[in-house]
Amino acid sequence: MLKELLIQYAFFLHGSKRYKNIKTTAYNFLLNSDYEYKKYFDIFMISLIVVSIAILVYEVKNPVPYWVDFFDIYLVTVIFLMEYIARVWVHNDWHKQVVKEVGEAEFLNRKVSLWRPSKETLKGKIRYLLTPTAIIDLLAILPAYRPLRVLRIFVLFRVFKLLRYTKSINQFLGVLASKKFELFTLLFLLVFITVTAGIAIYVFEQNENENIESIFDALYWALITISTVGYGDISPVTPEGRVVSMMIIVSGIAMISFVTSVIVSSFSEKLDELKENRIVEELNKKDEFMIICGYGQMTRMFLRYYAKEYTNRYIVIENDKDKVDEAIKEGYKAIHEDASRHDVIKRFNLQYSNITLLALTGNDIANIYITLNAKSLSRKIKVIARARTEKMIKKYQLAGADSIVRPNVIADRMLYTAITQPVMYKAIYAILTGKNMALLDEINLSQSELLVGKKIEELELKKQKLLCIGLQRAGEEGEFIFNPPVETTLEEGDILLVMGRKVSIEYFRSIYTKVKYV
Amino acid sequence: MFNRKALMFGYSNTTKFLAENLTKELHYLVIIVDDEESYQEAKKAGYRVKLLDITDDNALEELDVAEDDYLICVMKDHYINVFLTLSLHALFPKTTIIALSDSYHATQKLKMAGATRIIDLYQVSANRIHNILTKPVATKLIERLFSPEEEFSFKEILIPKNSILDAVMVDDFDFSKHGIILVGMIDKRLSKQFIFITSGLENRFDVGDTLVCIGYNDDLNKFEEYIKGKEDES
Repeated sequence: MLKELLIQYAFFLHGSKRYKNIKTTAYNFLLNSDYEYKKYFDIFMISLIVVSIAILVYEVKNPVPYWVDFFDIYLVTVIFLMEYIARVWVHNDWHKQVVKEVGEAEFLNRKVSLWRPSKETLKGKIRYLLTPTAIIDLLAILPAYRPLRVLRIFVLFRVFKLLRYTKSINQFLGVLASKKFELFTLLFLLVFITVTAGIAIYVFEQNENENIESIFDALYWALITISTVGYGDISPVTPEGRVVSMMIIVSGIAMISFVTSVIVSSFSEKLDELKENRIVEELNKKDEFMIICGYGQMTRMFLRYYAKEYTNRYIVIENDKDKVDEAIKEGYKAIHEDASRHDVIKRFNLQYSNITLLALTGNDIANIYITLNAKSLSRKIKVIARARTEKMIKKYQLAGADSIVRPNVIADRMLYTAITQPVMYKAIYAILTGKNMALLDEINLSQSELLVGKKIEELELKKQKLLCIGLQRAGEEGEFIFNPPVETTLEEGDILLVMGRKVSIEYFRSIYTKVKYV
Repeated sequence: MFNRKALMFGYSNTTKFLAENLTKELHYLVIIVDDEESYQEAKKAGYRVKLLDITDDNALEELDVAEDDYLICVMKDHYINVFLTLSLHALFPKTTIIALSDSYHATQKLKMAGATRIIDLYQVSANRIHNILTKPVATKLIERLFSPEEEFSFKEILIPKNSILDAVMVDDFDFSKHGIILVGMIDKRLSKQFIFITSGLENRFDVGDTLVCIGYNDDLNKFEEYIKGKEDES
């Protein structure tokens, strides 16, 4: 009976959208670094940690008011505890394991066991609880227990807890971890020299030097000397001891130089990667952004004119390091990667963000491959590709490109118009480049309830010095009506194409739409 | 058909496109190249072609160029294109020079060299991409207006003598009755500048003004015929 109820409960959780939403939100706040609002949660937690450390440190020598203690015990600690529980909760799902178990049991025609999924879930949670970060989280809760003052030493774990929320420290540790082998080799060498020198000084001076009474004193002296700190509380008194001293001072300097060079070189190696990761992470927090593949003439021109309009909402991916450096020098956000690689595009927030990918390399094969790569990862990505030849258009379409731009064709048509219809050329050029005098713009009726149901003649466009050029009916298959009759009624989701001065369009929008024109 | 000549410098896909389409529009078109291979190729394709050293001012000076002709610089090498533009501007300062550019810097140089119109290969594409991103419906319409296969387009219409539009105020004429949209015009009385109808100026149509309209090709042609007669608007 209980088993049946638990299974039903698991299925209820599995099918509950509300539960899923709550858990996803908790996951986003706690673990999803691409989530836009996570940074606010992190800032809040950092502030709590700093305040609680300040209280605990101040409390060592000074009495604190009751409310401060109350704040630390009940508020900070309760929040830490809730966060700890939430992290354990989001780590894995019991109901998913149960559903899987039921499915497998039905398939294999065996009895459903609740023990198996519960064990798997528990094992996962225990594995998480034993991770260093989870242990730090738990220990950071303990200083709040006032009867045992010794627990206050765990305030240190609140400092460590900061690591969870500060990316730069984590990145620093990551860089050190990448040089694990070199650092361990140096550490081994340091231990070896310290122990050797400690033993030597102990053998030479144990009977001569009153400050060296045990091997521990000798090792302590060796470490203080090799680190070049040299407190001076223990110093060699025999010539042999001084020789050992000189030798380990020289070794110490060499060791420090080695360690410094290892850390510096690993940083310089990783610096670009760290910067690039930061750019990608920032971008992933946006609802909408653009990936521009290739930094050739076309990208240069696009960014020269429009980079400001897409500030912090684009990234250039280029596989030629010199070109990346050039782009960065120009002030653009660029990373050195190959956009045709699966893992490169996968780094972006394909699930939550609306991504437009511009395949603008000068090579059709590369552009088609980039298009296929992006579309294979998510059909949601909008791809605008540049094609060099007419023959390639079909291939781009098959690869899934949403729009194809052919620079030569556009330029040829412009040249042709400039020669045959010079007056019209000016008009078209102004419209194409969005000049203030002749902006061809879209009024989206989904942003304006006030327009829905109105007839075009009621909008008094002429009075507002606007021209109605066309009307796109709602939906993907919606009809486009060029020069619609004035008695046409506007419907929800329609897009009205108007032409006029920027100021006229802005004014029109301010009257009818909720969205302020930018 | 215009009674104008076009001299096109360089032989490329752009030249071929223009040559094929301009032959219908202009009464004389010549392709000028500076290498034997292009010369033979263009000749074989049936175009009127001349071979000359375009860096030689004397050779250029001998070309028959009038003030209202077109000089089109579409050389593959953009250094030569800029140099050629400069030479042509020095020799024929009043003639319209249209040049093709492939970079921002080349565009700047062509401007300084005296090109009247510069079509920047990548700028127009950059605009197109931006328009696709921000105004997809408008961009589709512009593409359709450009496409020769579409049933609607832009058209320049000159107001002829005895036209019914002569001395009519812009606001007093209803273009929607004819199914077309007046985008702008060149008012000969005021200036030679193109004026968008949305700029709010109160203009009057006069003989010699040029109207730029959008509409279905049939409607545009009918309207062009319609304004020729000095009769009451029906």
